[in-house]
Amino acid sequence: MNRATRKIIQYEWKVFIRNRFQLLMLGVLFLFGLYAIYHGQAEIIDQRDTINAVMKLEQSEFDAYKSSFTEELKTLEQEQTHDVASRPAYAWYRHGYHAVLPPHDFAALAIGQRDLYRYYYRLTAMSLYYQLFENELANPGNLLTGNFDLAFVLVYLFPLLIIAFGYGLYASDKEHGILALLKVQATSVHKVLLIRMLCYFTLVVGLGLLLSIIGLYTSGNPLQSQNWLPALVWLVCVIVYCAFWFGLLFAIVSFRKSSSFNAIAAVGCWLLFLIIVPAVLNVIVTTRYPLNSVALADLTRRTGLENEDDKEEALAVINEFLEHKPELAKSDSALEENLLPKAYAAFTSLKDIHHRQEVDAYYEGVIRRQQWAANYLWLSPAAYMQEVLVKVVDTDLGQFLHFQDQLVSFHQQISDFYFSRLFQNRPISREDYEQLPVFSMVQNGNKWFPIFKGIFTIACAAILVFSIGFVKFKKEECL
Amino acid sequence: MSVIGTIARKEVLVALRERRVLVLGAIVWVLLAVAGVTGYLVYAQQHSAIVQTQQEKRQEWLEQGDKHPHIAAHYGTYVFKPKTLLSLFDFGLDAYTGTSVYLEAHYQHEFMFRPAQDHSSLIRFGELSLALVLQVLVPLLIIFMSFHTITQERETGTLRLLISQGVTFQQITWGKLLAHGFLLLSILLPVVVGLIIMAFLSDAQAKMTDLGLRSILLIVSYTIYLFFFLMLSIWVSLRSSSGRNALLVLLSCWIILTVLMPKTVANVSERIYEIPSMREFRAAIAEDKAHGLHGKSTKSERQEKLKQRYLEEYQVDDVQQLPFNFEGISMQAGEDFGNRIYDHHQERLRQLFYRQNHLASIASLLNPFLAIRHLSMAMAGTDLHTFIHFENEVEHYRRELVRRMNHDMAQNSTYGKFFEYKAGRDLWDEIEDFTYQTPGVWQVVQYYKLELISLLAWVIVLCVLVYYSNRKMKPINE
Repeated sequence: MNRATRKIIQYEWKVFIRNRFQLLMLGVLFLFGLYAIYHGQAEIIDQRDTINAVMKLEQSEFDAYKSSFTEELKTLEQEQTHDVASRPAYAWYRHGYHAVLPPHDFAALAIGQRDLYRYYYRLTAMSLYYQLFENELANPGNLLTGNFDLAFVLVYLFPLLIIAFGYGLYASDKEHGILALLKVQATSVHKVLLIRMLCYFTLVVGLGLLLSIIGLYTSGNPLQSQNWLPALVWLVCVIVYCAFWFGLLFAIVSFRKSSSFNAIAAVGCWLLFLIIVPAVLNVIVTTRYPLNSVALADLTRRTGLENEDDKEEALAVINEFLEHKPELAKSDSALEENLLPKAYAAFTSLKDIHHRQEVDAYYEGVIRRQQWAANYLWLSPAAYMQEVLVKVVDTDLGQFLHFQDQLVSFHQQISDFYFSRLFQNRPISREDYEQLPVFSMVQNGNKWFPIFKGIFTIACAAILVFSIGFVKFKKEECL
Repeated sequence: MSVIGTIARKEVLVALRERRVLVLGAIVWVLLAVAGVTGYLVYAQQHSAIVQTQQEKRQEWLEQGDKHPHIAAHYGTYVFKPKTLLSLFDFGLDAYTGTSVYLEAHYQHEFMFRPAQDHSSLIRFGELSLALVLQVLVPLLIIFMSFHTITQERETGTLRLLISQGVTFQQITWGKLLAHGFLLLSILLPVVVGLIIMAFLSDAQAKMTDLGLRSILLIVSYTIYLFFFLMLSIWVSLRSSSGRNALLVLLSCWIILTVLMPKTVANVSERIYEIPSMREFRAAIAEDKAHGLHGKSTKSERQEKLKQRYLEEYQVDDVQQLPFNFEGISMQAGEDFGNRIYDHHQERLRQLFYRQNHLASIASLLNPFLAIRHLSMAMAGTDLHTFIHFENEVEHYRRELVRRMNHDMAQNSTYGKFFEYKAGRDLWDEIEDFTYQTPGVWQVVQYYKLELISLLAWVIVLCVLVYYSNRKMKPINE
């Protein structure tokens, strides 16, 4: 670092700490960042509490079943519990298993769609579609407003801080008559500008990294093996995103217009990237790929056999189901005893089988929307960054669609467990409770590729805008 | 010609010569057009899908065949949330309230399918609607248009010349206000005309009560809201030493009012009044249904009591001797009891929502953006209160349906012989189709008194501020 550079940095620092307004802004943003971390964590702690509560409910449900095998059955209630515990005819639609999507350790930093989507389901062997579409309770007004999480502070507020620090560089020198003095110096004007920008860049990125590190450390241990990569990528995102906005500001300043013009242009870009482009993309997606959820509503209807004491109808339903499940049809027992529960079980399973295509088509529609929007995300680096951040901490739509996908196989596992016993007339024994179905989430394999692609795209955008500014300055200097 | 008129004319002329206003106006026009067209498309798509499916569900209900009334009550039907015509202006909560609900005996289902769930997290940035343009973007247009209107006169020295000619500050300020108001009006005129045409010429009057009045109230409240920003910009311009400072102050205000504060308020309210999870909510209802509110009586106790009451009343020894099927009576009693429990819990939940929203209403006293946002949703019929009104109507319909089924069962079937009795089309026809009418506008507006006060108060405060600042103003700031 040569003497001139050091001097510039020294003076910039002096100017900076003398400007109360800028210091205030920095402080306020820091506090907002802390609040955002707090809010995000409170939200995620709530979700974890809910998960613990539902798991506890499940635990006590199954404890009651298990103990009904060993304890003396005195009351009617105890006998009923034992029936539910041991007889597949009751158990198949009463035993509920929770499938849970636990929050990522850093989910508090970018809540994403986590407040909108279900993160736990209680599944019985009944039709999956009876159980899939119920929503979590929420105040729709607050859902609309969205979460004040760290991702919001970084994506929305940091660019504003950058604009506030940078819009007056060069222009205000010109307006205050300092420019002429600068021009006679040995160091070129654009070099001075670059160094000054770099000072602010360090400051803003420093603040962003500081907040992120506080957030990361208080939400989970970033050094754990599953956490270090997300933590590192998050920090890289902060740097790249700030770099983009500094580059953009440098490009705007390079046009050498008045500071008011710079401010208007920069805020205009902010408006474009954070409000207009996403809002337009959203309405285009809605109109271009209309999705009709009303058609799916029908699947939640609790229908049953037309006539419950018609044995022929029951047998017909069971036989149709057994065609899909030949392994259950091996023994003759499938068509004896407990015909009504069997028919009902067959009926709801057939419902799933018949409607799978409809549901799949619907979710394909959702994915098509997501893909279309993803193709145009580069139009707004801010929206892109938001998408990348929620992907890093697994709160994006893809994660929830993946979760719902896994529910299908978990539900299958539960159905198989009960139906194999129901259709072969085998009671559920105490030993069977040692091998109950368990939900395990298979992670999405290609999580990181879209994230790196996103970061790369934003980095390219940063380089592009910076180059525009650089070329523009060079050209002017030659004149 | 009056001085104010001359100043206004000059201001308009200058603005037209400068390309900035034209360019900004054109951008706003394009956005308004895109918002209007897509808003209409979304409305038309969803409206026709809902109308069509609703008809299908009606047919399904009517043609469900002969069956026991209680099975029919479980077969139930569906109701879909109709799109209000004005939702094409302001989507409001439509993306976050569910769209369909399943109505059956014993059980209140919640609304399913929030349209926002069919989007990636991009949806959280908001959707482009006319309301978004008017609430967020037009204020910024006003700021860009007017921040330097007086500072420029000051910086170029023309202010001194004007004052020396005997023009007063009041005349300058109000003249400029008039000019900018005129420019703004000419930019936004298409929206006003569009709204009026839609309100008075469309045939959707029947679906939305007070459509005309709602549109007029929308226009009036947005006018007041935008006037607030105009006054604010001119006042800040009047008080600032340079255009740059005026711009900085105005932009900070804009960001605090439209971006920072709404989110902060919503999230703080979420922390203060915590909403239970669905599982807890359902578990509490199930618990009370089994053991009575506050654990007073079990289900079998209640059934026994009901039985005794009927035996005594009709002076018989056994329920089979009653002139009707006691099962129908006991079914309805269970239904009524379940409803009471549900009402109790739902009311508690709604109170939480109201309290959360009330916090936002209080905050709107400080923030006209929040005020217009709430009012706009209310007028467009896309706010929480209209949704709850709809929810109530739906629940009322469900109860009536189940009651009719139980009544029929009590009158026509025999005790203990469930499968012997079947009702048919005649009974299904007795249940009228569900129709929904949004509440009258005054019925909704009463929830938004604070917001109305806020808008009016802010405009008055700014008028007073402008007036007093004018009196104290000097042509040169030192």
